[in-house]
Amino acid sequence: MKTYIELVKANAKNLFRDRMTLFWFLAFPVLFILLFGTIFSNEMTVSAFPIGLVADGGEVAHALASTLGQTGAFTVQTGSEEDEMEALRAGDRRLVIVLPPGTDALLARGQQVDVIFYYDQQHQAVNQVLISSISEVLQEMERAMTGRPRIFAIRSESVQASDLRSIDFLLPGVLAMALMQLGLFGSLQFVGLRERKILRQLNVTPLPRSLLIASEVTVRLFMALVQAMLILVIGRLVFNVQVAGSWPVLIGLVLLGAAVFVSLGYMLVSFVKSEESGQGVIQLVQFPMMFLSGIFFPVEVMPVFLKPIMKAIPLTYLADLLRQEVTGWAPLNTPATNLLVLGGWLVVSLVLGIRFFRWE
Amino acid sequence: MAPAPCHLRSRVMPLGTGAKGGEAQVSVSSDESIVVSGLWKSYGAVKAVAGVDFTVQSGEVFGMLGPNGAGKSTTVEILAGLRRRDAGQVKVLGMDPGVDAAQLKSRIGMQLQSVSLYPRLKVLEVLRLFASFYSRPLDPLAVLDRVDLREKAGALTNQLSGGQAQRLAIALAMIGDGEMLFLDEPTTGLDPQARRMLWEVILDLKQAGKTVVLTTHYMEEAERLCDRVAVIDYGRIIALGSPRELVAQHFREQAVEFEAPGFSGEAALGEIPGISRVERDGDTITLYTDQVSQTVEALLALAGSNGMAVRDFMVRRATLEDVFLRLTGRRIRE
Repeated sequence: MKTYIELVKANAKNLFRDRMTLFWFLAFPVLFILLFGTIFSNEMTVSAFPIGLVADGGEVAHALASTLGQTGAFTVQTGSEEDEMEALRAGDRRLVIVLPPGTDALLARGQQVDVIFYYDQQHQAVNQVLISSISEVLQEMERAMTGRPRIFAIRSESVQASDLRSIDFLLPGVLAMALMQLGLFGSLQFVGLRERKILRQLNVTPLPRSLLIASEVTVRLFMALVQAMLILVIGRLVFNVQVAGSWPVLIGLVLLGAAVFVSLGYMLVSFVKSEESGQGVIQLVQFPMMFLSGIFFPVEVMPVFLKPIMKAIPLTYLADLLRQEVTGWAPLNTPATNLLVLGGWLVVSLVLGIRFFRWE
Repeated sequence: MAPAPCHLRSRVMPLGTGAKGGEAQVSVSSDESIVVSGLWKSYGAVKAVAGVDFTVQSGEVFGMLGPNGAGKSTTVEILAGLRRRDAGQVKVLGMDPGVDAAQLKSRIGMQLQSVSLYPRLKVLEVLRLFASFYSRPLDPLAVLDRVDLREKAGALTNQLSGGQAQRLAIALAMIGDGEMLFLDEPTTGLDPQARRMLWEVILDLKQAGKTVVLTTHYMEEAERLCDRVAVIDYGRIIALGSPRELVAQHFREQAVEFEAPGFSGEAALGEIPGISRVERDGDTITLYTDQVSQTVEALLALAGSNGMAVRDFMVRRATLEDVFLRLTGRRIRE
């Protein structure tokens, strides 16, 4: 135990006495959250989203307009399809709902009504949320009209229902990204120990290797917690992002995410010889992951052939878990799926990492 | 076994008797700390160690002398459990280093040829860290005193000079108070003063009953420190014995050595009285003779009549260097 504590201390000292490392360790999350927060909070300080409704009058259209209006999250404009589409292109609408002609009649005959949503790709960050809330409204109306009893009484109380902002959506993404970078690039530290023959020096002593790894991982997890706290605190103080879920769960998720990416990092560097080539390999992995995970860009704008990759990368699932915990919004996947995929990655990287680990 | 006290009251005191504890008084001269037979190790097509046999007595300072690439480091690293051997039997402190490496490492100290440490840790911090790896370490400050590095206790390891880093490496080998130490070229790159200081440290270790195995390519070092020396070349032991024995075995003569650039009269040298052997290595010529005064007289006369330039002329008794030269035809450091 004494050895373990001494190792953790030695590791941390060696790491943080490097001013550049210390600077980037603290500055990276701060800069990122300030940068993205500033860029994206300007875009949407509006408290109600303008929505266009295209319909040929009728009860359904009327009911929809008034229901949406009542939520306080939307202002509904009715108009012709041409006008509304024009307004959408001009940025005056966030979304246009088109009800087919004769909706009331179709409904009366019990036929299916195809409702079309048009939205602007540019503001995708919150479109997912918009669409799902409007869909919910429609479903609620359908239930009322058909008189079918509710099986599930969903009381969706969106925390920031009247103030959906991109920053709320982005902050958990930035958090996930910080954990990824910390874990992946942190493993280079170990390659450095190997390359500079420090591992060889340690290997002449009776120090068990497992303790060495444990101390490395401990320092990484500690760093992950500090960065996560920085991001959350700045999010709260500067952008007023509140944590909707529970803090203990959130901390658990942060540690899980860090663990997944730390092991992934160790797995990756077990295949490289030098710190430089390690850097290359990790860039190769982390860069696409950052953009394909839907942190910054909505998944919909990506070409179809990339979808399987997006479905595979762990960052997507970590971001989704964190997003739900921070904002309270409905996740893309169920928490169970998210946890399962992350757990799978953790196990696979651990097994491969241990199998191919190199000390010299 | 009760923990042994660490005697480190002053700089001249020997280091603690460590793990030996009460057994130290029992006759130790006869038990063998290291037994090696038929040791082989290749790296690809290169045979680093090609069939080596020797034993090291407990409490002995055993030297491995040879040029770079002779297989000294490889041998020592196999003994210390850092490398696997291809073939042969090895027992160190009764253990097989290939099997019980972890246990063996807790009872020995090892200094690698080049020291590599966390660059941003301080000297004392590194020693404290390494001390925590052992069950009964010495006091880090006392060890720093012993290798004369106390004033650098607060310096970062990447700010040490070569000699200071080398001394830290030896301190790290000593910190666990192991009963056996492996020192791989402990004084390479040190200035003469620092070298002499380390010799004292090594002799103190011997006094404290430690077994020391060291590699070197300094003849003087081997002669000063080692009870026995194995002369190694191309992965084989070509001579083994105490320095005195080795010299006596190969030379009764003294050596007359000089430099003569462009000299080409070996045949004439053979005529000089008393000469038993002539060795030439580049411009350096060594004559072995049992009649020094006659040889010198004749040599100077020969030089005068030939117009031969004789430089760096000296007469000395034969050393391990001469033994190596006789056995291999080469000097050790080239």
